[in-house]
Amino acid sequence: MSAETSRGTLIRTIAGREISVKLRDKGFIASTIFFLVVIVAATVIPVILRDQTHDYTLAVAGDRAAAVAKVAAGLHSSAEALVRGGKADAALVSDGAALALIGKDAVTDDLVALAQAAAAQVDIAQVAVEAGLSPDQVQRIAAPTPPTVELLNAQPERAVPPILLVIIFGFLFYFSVLTFGVSIAQSVVEEKQSRVVELLVAAVPVRWLLAGKVLGNTALAVAQVTLIVGVGLAGAGIAGQSKVISQVLGASGWFLVFFLLGFLMLACLWAVAGSLASRVEDLQSTTMVMQVTVMVPFFATLFVTEPGRTQQVLSYIPFTAPLMMPARVINGTAQVWEPWVAAGIVLATAALFVALGARLYEGSVLRTSNRTGLIQAWRSEQ
Amino acid sequence: MAIPPALQVRDVTRSFGTRVALDRVSFDVRPGRLTGFVGANGAGKTTAMRIVMGVLAADAGTVTFGGEPIDLQARRQFGYMPEERGLYPKMRVLDQLVFFGRVHGLGPAVARARALELLEQLDLADRTTDVLHTLSLGNQQRVQVAAALLHEPVLLILDEPFSGLDPIAVDAMGARLRSRAEAGVPVLFSSHQLELVERLCDDLVVIHQGRIVAHGDAEHLQEERAGTRIRIAVDGGTAWLAGARGVRVVSTDPRGTVVELVDGGDGQALLAEAQRHGAVREFGRVVPSLSEIFREAIR
Repeated sequence: MSAETSRGTLIRTIAGREISVKLRDKGFIASTIFFLVVIVAATVIPVILRDQTHDYTLAVAGDRAAAVAKVAAGLHSSAEALVRGGKADAALVSDGAALALIGKDAVTDDLVALAQAAAAQVDIAQVAVEAGLSPDQVQRIAAPTPPTVELLNAQPERAVPPILLVIIFGFLFYFSVLTFGVSIAQSVVEEKQSRVVELLVAAVPVRWLLAGKVLGNTALAVAQVTLIVGVGLAGAGIAGQSKVISQVLGASGWFLVFFLLGFLMLACLWAVAGSLASRVEDLQSTTMVMQVTVMVPFFATLFVTEPGRTQQVLSYIPFTAPLMMPARVINGTAQVWEPWVAAGIVLATAALFVALGARLYEGSVLRTSNRTGLIQAWRSEQ
Repeated sequence: MAIPPALQVRDVTRSFGTRVALDRVSFDVRPGRLTGFVGANGAGKTTAMRIVMGVLAADAGTVTFGGEPIDLQARRQFGYMPEERGLYPKMRVLDQLVFFGRVHGLGPAVARARALELLEQLDLADRTTDVLHTLSLGNQQRVQVAAALLHEPVLLILDEPFSGLDPIAVDAMGARLRSRAEAGVPVLFSSHQLELVERLCDDLVVIHQGRIVAHGDAEHLQEERAGTRIRIAVDGGTAWLAGARGVRVVSTDPRGTVVELVDGGDGQALLAEAQRHGAVREFGRVVPSLSEIFREAIR
C-alpha cells in the first residue's frame, strides 16, 4: 500500500479539492472577471478623459480676425486649432477694430476666453510696436514669463486620492470575505447535507478537514485579490500612470498582509457557521452574525475617515483593524510600528478563533439531522 | 503467508444522552468471510459500524484490527460505505474518485488508474467526466461502491450496501463482496433483507436493542438450533402438543407444527405419542432459516 499519511498531504488534498471546485464555479469566474473589468476601467478611463483636449475650428473673416485667430491657435495647448472655412465651431469676424465671435447655438466659454486673450495680445503687440518698442520688448509684454510655484509645506504628490484607495481596498476585503466566507460555509453544509462528511471523517481528522478547507479558500482569495490589484496596476502602467503604480504598490503591501490575517481570522468562523446548519436553507440564519461581522467594519471604514482618536482605536480592534490600519498607513497617519502591533493583535485573534472554530466544527459537523446550537456544539464530544 | 488480520469488537458501549445504543457489544469479523450484521431499525448496527470507522467514539470497550488498536493510518486503509450515501453532488465522477483515493492515501497517478479501472468494471467508463448528480441513483450507488473499493481496503464495512438495488445489481454487489472476501478481506455488511443475508453470508451477528443476541458461523447457528427442532404433521391435528411434556411449540401452519424439545424432552417419545394421536405424515428435524433465528433471537 502506498499509504501517505502525512498531515501535509491530506490537508493539501482537501485544499486542492476546494480550489478546483471553485475554479470551475461559474459564479467565482464571473465575479473575478467583473472585478478585473471594473479595475481596468477605473484606472484607464480617468486617464483617457483627462488627456482629452478640445480642438476648435474657427471660421475667420477680416484681417484682425485672422491675426487674433493665429495667436489663439498659438495659445491653445495643442496648437492645432484649425483656422479655416467649412464646418466650424464659431466664426471670428473683424470689421476694423471691432471683433465678433459668431456661434450657431452657443459658443463655449473656453473659446470666448481664448479669443479674448488672443485679441488682447494682438492689441498689446500693436500698441507696443506703435510706441517704438523692439520686437524683443514686444514679445516680453505680450507673453510675460510666468512665476514658478514653490510650496514650503509640500505634500507628496498623490495621483489617486487616499480616500479612494481606502474605499477600493475596503471593498475588495469586504467582498472577498463575504463571498469566500459564504462559499466556505456552503462547502461545509454541502458535505453535511450530502453526508460526504461521514466518509471523510473516517479517513481525515476533523481538524485537518477544517484546515484544508480554510487554507484552500484563503489561498484562492489572496490569489484573486492579488490578481485584481495586479491587473489594476498593469492597467495604470499601460495608461502611463507611473505615480499611481508607485502609490498603490506602497499601500498594497500592508493591505495584503492584513487581508490574509483578517481572512484567516474569519474563515474558521464561517466554517463553524456552515457546520451549525444541516441544510443549505439554514445558512441564511446561521451565517447572519458573520455577515454583520464583515459588514460593520466595512461601513465603519467608509464613515470614519477623519484621522483621530476613533480611527486610531478602530485600527487596533481585531475586526476593524484589517481595514482601518491599512487605511491609516495609506493616509500617512500611522507610525511605522503601528501596523506591526495591529497585525500581531489580528494574528493572535485568528489563532484564538481557529482553536474555537475547530472545536465548534468538531462538535457540530457530524450532527446531520438538525440545526445545531452553539452551546450544543461546544459541549458535544464525538 | 501471514494470517490476514481480523476485526475484533470487545465490550463496546455507547450512550446518547440517557439512551444506551450499544451495551457491551462483542463480535469478530474474520478474514476471508462475509459477515452479515442484522438487527431491527435502531438496534445499533449503524452506531457499531461508525465506532469501528472512528466516526463515533465508544464510551467504553475496544476495537482492534489484527490485534492492534485502530489508528488513523489503519483506518485509512479500510473501505467504508455509510448508511446515508455520501458523495459530492456537483463534482465529476472521476475527480471525485481520485479525491477519495488521495484521501485514503493513494498517490495521484495510482488513484486515477484505479478509478478508471473500477469505473470500467462498473460499466461507467463513459460517465467519467459527468457531474455526479446527473447520474441515475443506481449509477450513483455504483460510484459509491467504487469510492469504498478504490484503495483496495484491508477491511470492508458496508452499511446497508444492498438497499435500493435492483435484483441484478444485488447479485453483482454480492459477487463483488464475495470476491473481496475470497481475497482474504474481512467484510462486514448490514442488511434488513434476511433472505439475502442467508444466501450470502458466512458469519452472522444479530443485534437487538444494543445487545448482541447471536453471533458466529451462520451454518453452525442453524445447526445448533436445528438439533432440537422438529416438524410434526399428524392426521387428526396437533393441538395435543400444547400440553405435551418436554416440548415447546414454536409455530403452527397448515403444513404442521414446529416444536422445540426442552427440559430433556425426547424425540423418540414424542414420535411414539404422535402415533397414538393418528397417522404421522411428517416428523423430522427442522433447520431454521436465518430469519427464523433472527426472530427467535430478538423475541
